[in-house]
Formats: sequence, C-alpha cells, structure tokens
Amino acid sequence: MKAGVDFVIVGGFAGVVQGCTYVTQDIDLCCDFTPSNLLAMQKAISDLHPVHQMTAGRKKLELTETTCRQLKNLHLDTDIGQLDCLNFIDGLGDYQKVKRASELIEVEGMQLRVLGLDSLIEAKKAMNRPRDKEAIVQLEAIKRLKSQKN
Amino acid sequence: MATSVLKLNPFILNPCGETFILEIMAAKTRQNGQKSNPWQTDEVQAAIDYGIDVSMLMANIGRTPTERIIRHQIALNTAEKLRKARHL
Repeated sequence: MKAGVDFVIVGGFAGVVQGCTYVTQDIDLCCDFTPSNLLAMQKAISDLHPVHQMTAGRKKLELTETTCRQLKNLHLDTDIGQLDCLNFIDGLGDYQKVKRASELIEVEGMQLRVLGLDSLIEAKKAMNRPRDKEAIVQLEAIKRLKSQKN
Repeated sequence: MATSVLKLNPFILNPCGETFILEIMAAKTRQNGQKSNPWQTDEVQAAIDYGIDVSMLMANIGRTPTERIIRHQIALNTAEKLRKARHL
C-alpha cells in the first residue's frame, strides 16, 4: 500500500479480517495486473524473497514489463508464507469490479482494501468448493450478527 | 388466592388437562428460547448446526480488524508449532 501497489485482499484472509474464526495459511490478493503495478509489487515484496510456487526449482520472481503482460495470476512463496495474486475473481470479475466491491479497513494505521462481506460470500459461492462451505456459513452468520448489532 | 391457584394449575380450566399443560409448556419453551437467544436467526442457527462456535464469532465482531489479524496470527503460529511437533 505504501509502495503504491493497487490490490484488494480477497479469499480466506479477507474472511479473517471480516471476523471469521478459521485459520488460513495463504493470502490471496486481487491485483491490478498492469506492468507498472506488478513491478511496484515486486519491488515492495523483494525483501521477502518471493519465488514462483509452481515452477521447477522454485524460480525467483524476476518480472519485466514483457513478462508482466503475459501473466494472468501469480502464485508466490515468500518468507512469510504463500501469496497468491489474481487478476480475476469468480462471481465478481476483474480487478476494477473487485475494487468497487471492496471496503477500506484500517489495520495498524494503514488503509487496506478488503473485499466486502456480501461480495466475499458471492465469490465463495461461485467457487463452489467443498472447503469453502464453512467459510460461507461463518460469513453469512457474521453478516446477520453485524446487522443485528447495528 | 383462588386466582393464583387457577393460574398455577391450568389443568383445572381444561377437561383435556394433559394436552393443555403440554401446550402451555411448549409455548413457554418457545418463549424462553426467544428470550435467551435474541441473536437467533436462520443464518446463525445454520452456523450452530454446522458446528461453529457462534460465541467466538460474536466476540470477533466486537474486535477491530487489527485485533482479529493478531489473534489469527497467534492461532496460525500455534497450528504451525503443533504441525512441527508431530514430525519430531
């Protein structure tokens, strides 16, 4: 965020920020996949020693303007865990649509974009994976509890 | 005195006493259920049925996002320690 990278926190970690009680090991981001943004992200996380998860020999992340244009998703391993960067979220759409569905949440003085509850539920339902069932149940309960609290 | 007896013993008011008492008991149970669970809704009940500890969700809603992330990190670290211990 400080490095000027455009991203929205999505997936399981967004659920944690919204109040879910499960534990997730990776962080999913929906990013603007323009070369300038990806290069800014590469610079911002360079001290975390990012490598490609899905390449033989865990190839170091070395993006260039040319390679950025060919990317659709980035699945990285870093010193602090897995980081998945996606340019499209099922049920929602591309980065611009995801950004519109996000909300600004303050975390330790930083304003982070996190996918909103309704959109998170929508995305999880669209994925239709058995492992998302618990997340959907938790998110729907949180939505109801929050509305009753307010 | 007579009034209180009538209130306490609805059987006297109804010739089919047993059914009547059961109906009152069921109504009371429903009423108590509503009183003790003001948060109860379909979504919350679905979470309970799924096995989710809703009191933990409610506690989490009362926390700030930063506090939620810190607690998640503690849980993740604990899970990681347990995973490593299993392989020792």
